[in-house]
Amino acid sequence: MIKHRQARFKWSMLCLFGLLLLSCVLSLNLGAVAIAPKEVFQTVLGNGSARQELILFQFRLPAIVLAIMVGAGMAISGSILQGITRNELADPGILGINAGSGLAVVIYITFFQTAVGGLTLAGTFILPIFAFLGALLTGALIMVLSWRKGIHSSRLILVGIGINAGLSAFIIALQLRLEPNDFVKAMVWLSGDLWASQWQYVWALLPWFIILSIFALLKAHTLNIMNLGSQMATALGIRSLRQRVILLIIAVALAGLGVAAGGGIAFLGLIAPHIARRLVGPKHQLLLPVASLMGAIIVVLADTIGKNALSPTEIPAGLVVAIVSVPYFLVLLMKSK
Amino acid sequence: MTTLSAERLTIGYEERTIVQDLDLDFIPGQITAIIGPNGCGKSTILKTMARLHTATSGSIYLDGKMIHQTPAKEVAKKLAILPQAPEAPDGLTVYELISYGRTPHQSGFSLLKKHDREMIEWAMNVTGLTDLQNQAVDTLSGGQRQRAWIAMSIAQETDLLMLDEPTTYLDLAHQLEVLQLLERINQEDGRTIIMVIHDLNQASRFAHQLVALKNGKIVKQGSAEQVMDPVVLKQVFNIDTEIVADPRTGKPAMISYDLIK
Repeated sequence: MIKHRQARFKWSMLCLFGLLLLSCVLSLNLGAVAIAPKEVFQTVLGNGSARQELILFQFRLPAIVLAIMVGAGMAISGSILQGITRNELADPGILGINAGSGLAVVIYITFFQTAVGGLTLAGTFILPIFAFLGALLTGALIMVLSWRKGIHSSRLILVGIGINAGLSAFIIALQLRLEPNDFVKAMVWLSGDLWASQWQYVWALLPWFIILSIFALLKAHTLNIMNLGSQMATALGIRSLRQRVILLIIAVALAGLGVAAGGGIAFLGLIAPHIARRLVGPKHQLLLPVASLMGAIIVVLADTIGKNALSPTEIPAGLVVAIVSVPYFLVLLMKSK
Repeated sequence: MTTLSAERLTIGYEERTIVQDLDLDFIPGQITAIIGPNGCGKSTILKTMARLHTATSGSIYLDGKMIHQTPAKEVAKKLAILPQAPEAPDGLTVYELISYGRTPHQSGFSLLKKHDREMIEWAMNVTGLTDLQNQAVDTLSGGQRQRAWIAMSIAQETDLLMLDEPTTYLDLAHQLEVLQLLERINQEDGRTIIMVIHDLNQASRFAHQLVALKNGKIVKQGSAEQVMDPVVLKQVFNIDTEIVADPRTGKPAMISYDLIK
């Protein structure tokens, strides 16, 4: 079955890749202005009208690239967190990393922004940086608080859940002081809206995402061994504490990037690795690529559905993910032993 | 042959000292069984000597070099340890698990080379798991699962193999199966085996050397004949024992015992 599993991996990758392409085409042709698949292809080949080109290349394509990046990043982040904690319920949302990032954003909106004018040009660039720093600070806080002669998995999760609750309370306290307009903006951000769908953001975030993902893939085998527990990891010559800190930093940074670009998309880091594990098993060389494709598909579809289902009202992608994944999650919990 | 020894080893958890000033030496190429009552520190000593637990003071020498000053990977090429009741993630196959044993020999992206695959094949063969290689570890029976973990540890290709209660939770036949497997690895492959074990008769039958511990101190170290002695066992377990020569193996065996009031 090693061969079998390799084959399964190849098939999964192929199918998921096809599915991702299909979602992208769907996302490209749906919207306030519908562009038929045939026209999409013609435009991609350079035969579209100026208006079609504008809509496809300046509005919809960056949104898709961003959705793929956020989805894949969150999925990898969740896979890593689940691997090092040996707990399939760990994900950046549950550990409070998304909340930390969200709090940074709300603080920014509350204290540094003029209420009426909305986000200034400088503001649009500083906002993701705030979100990213918020995630990193929260990650550091979780590490420091769960440190007791090393980092123990269950302690890490409990501290994370505590921090999540604390930060969420903070966010609400701050939000209540906001002007109605800003309140709505903060709310939409927090529920996971892919707002940064312009090429400038994509170019700012994409290099980091690529570097971190490659780094995560290089650490796949270390994750496999950490998954056997810290004693077994030491027995096999892996310096588990050091590796755990490195992997935690990668996971937090990827989540931070995701939140910076798309707000806190809950459950994604949990669901995507879960489905991937059912497809190709727990070996991270296979799991990480499949999970990241899975995550990308989920966000692209969620974004498309969110933009079109109740058109002209747009639902944040994060809410769509939550609506779809909560039932899946509950079924999973009921089925598990 | 790799040697392992401890000098003036003191080990404790938090405030409680479990072992004080222990000197311990293992004979290379032999099977050593560590016996003793619950809480005497046998597992703690095993784990500490395999650097899974840090000693309060004292030194551990692997091939004459301090184990904590040797790179983690170098240690893992010489010494394999199987802790008690390890857990594999759901869905991990037997082959995948065994292949993880090659970790210290691999570099970078962890691709399996020809020699790695040969060692995995050998480990599967010796443990009789070849037919089960594509099954998920969590679907195996207790005995099969323990064999899979042992296969992973022997695929690590180390001179020294340490096991913490490798027969716990297994029924009699499976206990014997595991011990015979270890005996075979020791005889055919010349590996040094050090294990913590509860059953005195099994220790006597399979080990060349027994270490009897009480309260973190060695009461007696030597052959089965020297350690399976009513005086020693009284001191270690506080029991009154009846020892005879096992009619099948000739080794000392305990046929009955009573608590000493």
